[in-house]
Amino acid sequence: MITKIFSNYVVKRFITYLLTIFVTFTATFFFFRLIPGNPIGAFILSMQQRYSTIVVQGGENVVEKYQEMFGLNGSLFTQYIRYTKNVLRGNLGPSLTAFPTPAQNLIITSLPWTIGLLGLSLLISWAIGILIGTLVGWKRDLLASKIVTALAIFFSQVPQYFFALILVFFLAYTIMVLPSSGAYNPFLTPGFNLEFIFSVIKHGLLPSLSIILTTAMGWIISTRALVISILGEDYLIFAEAKGLKPSTVLRQYVMRNALLPQITGLAISLGFIMNGAYIVEWVFNYPGIGRLMANAIGILDYNLIQGIVILSIVAVLTANLIIDLILPLIDPRIRAR
Amino acid sequence: MKTRTSNLDPKLLLGMFIVLFIVSIAIFQPFLNKAIIGNHNPLNISLFPMYEPPSLEHPLGTDRFGRDVLAITLLSTRYSLVIGALAGIFSTFIGIVVGFTAGYKGGSSDTILRTFTDALLVIPSLPILMVLSAYVKTLNILTMGIILAIFSWPYSSRVIRSQVMSLRESPYVDLAKLNNMKDYEVIFTEILPNLLPFLGVSLAGSIVGAMVAATGLEVLGLGPSGITTLGMMINLAIGWGALSQGMWNLILPPILVLVLLFVGVQLINMGLEATYNPRVRRQ
Repeated sequence: MITKIFSNYVVKRFITYLLTIFVTFTATFFFFRLIPGNPIGAFILSMQQRYSTIVVQGGENVVEKYQEMFGLNGSLFTQYIRYTKNVLRGNLGPSLTAFPTPAQNLIITSLPWTIGLLGLSLLISWAIGILIGTLVGWKRDLLASKIVTALAIFFSQVPQYFFALILVFFLAYTIMVLPSSGAYNPFLTPGFNLEFIFSVIKHGLLPSLSIILTTAMGWIISTRALVISILGEDYLIFAEAKGLKPSTVLRQYVMRNALLPQITGLAISLGFIMNGAYIVEWVFNYPGIGRLMANAIGILDYNLIQGIVILSIVAVLTANLIIDLILPLIDPRIRAR
Repeated sequence: MKTRTSNLDPKLLLGMFIVLFIVSIAIFQPFLNKAIIGNHNPLNISLFPMYEPPSLEHPLGTDRFGRDVLAITLLSTRYSLVIGALAGIFSTFIGIVVGFTAGYKGGSSDTILRTFTDALLVIPSLPILMVLSAYVKTLNILTMGIILAIFSWPYSSRVIRSQVMSLRESPYVDLAKLNNMKDYEVIFTEILPNLLPFLGVSLAGSIVGAMVAATGLEVLGLGPSGITTLGMMINLAIGWGALSQGMWNLILPPILVLVLLFVGVQLINMGLEATYNPRVRRQ
């Protein structure tokens, strides 16, 4: 019976997922097509600036050729069908940033850096936040807890890139212990050796620190509030009355109940944290998706921007789907519904 | 009841003091400007020598264009607040319309609206905001506010909906319905007045949210043209290499103003929670 309800839930959730992706994909496509601005004109202009050639004769042929190349010929509907087919095949069309390299190639080279930086920082900050938040809520009358809470309130309101700027200022330029830009020492060739890995860690320290510091503070505050509300529950008083050890109560009763809403919170905050991480990448000149996007915006690189927007949305929606599917497995309260 | 309200939480007082201080700076900026640099427009270039360190004459020094940083910071505070307020008002308005429709009507219109807002909530907004602000030809204060509101209204609509849903079940709404009041009468005379304090807090939250998003865009160089905002100050300072040359007086002022404002609003929220939520107060 339970498995039937659960499989129904999975199917329902999956259909919503596909539907949301379809709607956002379609909306993004038409949004880009209807936006004022002429990508071909911009492209030819950028070619002229770059190679100082002036397209005078046969200009129309050139425009037509490029329209075909960028998939901009035909009616809006045929363009949509063609673009959808291409995207499903993994082809986003040529980029302008590095013409004629396909946009997906640029995204694929940037993606590991963003996933590494964002994913690791997110998990670390989440774990730190839950641990400290639980302790601070559990012993909330201690002076240390009050200080930590006050600091957390202050720092959680600081956007990630502010931290990035302040960290760059003090650690990279004032005492010069850490590098301030890039993802690895440019004199090293990327490869699986100790020197390169060390360089990647050293370069990733400041950007990830600026994400972790602010994000963890937010988790501390919300976990503390959760823990305090759990401490007032009857089952907790019962558990204490049974004579359970405080550590057992903390682990089995408090933390377990506080953890589950925080997993949902992780899913909801993902898009928001991604926004901040994109700007952090830009500040640190980190070769991830955020910097790629900022560069693409600078020269209105149509296919690349569209690809990144769709990728970001699909990534966040997929993460949400995974969390929603895992949650009933670990939370009996949701499974029952 | 009286002791409860007069016993204001210290967090609330501190938060209100900070926010009022920054807002009054923004309101009285023209007078303060006069006191600092006289009748000049703070944006005029080459009024003073460039890159002056902080001194009595220029408490925060001057920037690359020879402009007084303190005067620029005050003007930027004003414009940043106006952009945030515009976006906050727009998004709260949309939030009220959608939240009331979904929360009061319920049923299928609620399901549709909720699915739509939930989808918008999880989408990472920055890439789309970047595209919008890059493509809009003349980005001014108004268009910037509208663009920011596109992604901030789902937050307001979500919380407003839940409040309307709980008020919908209250006895005085039932009574109004029994008296054959029309839906819009119930909404405007019974539910809306009772939600006003809550809507005020929600508006403050939207303004701060919009300011965070706006600053993010401006730091990336995608701000409105012809004016100065706190985010644009940061963008310029980074461009001038203020970080590598240790010119803290260019980069810290805008950051400090924004952080103070964000913390102030957060303190107000927590103070209100402590004053009016019995669960929190008891602890």
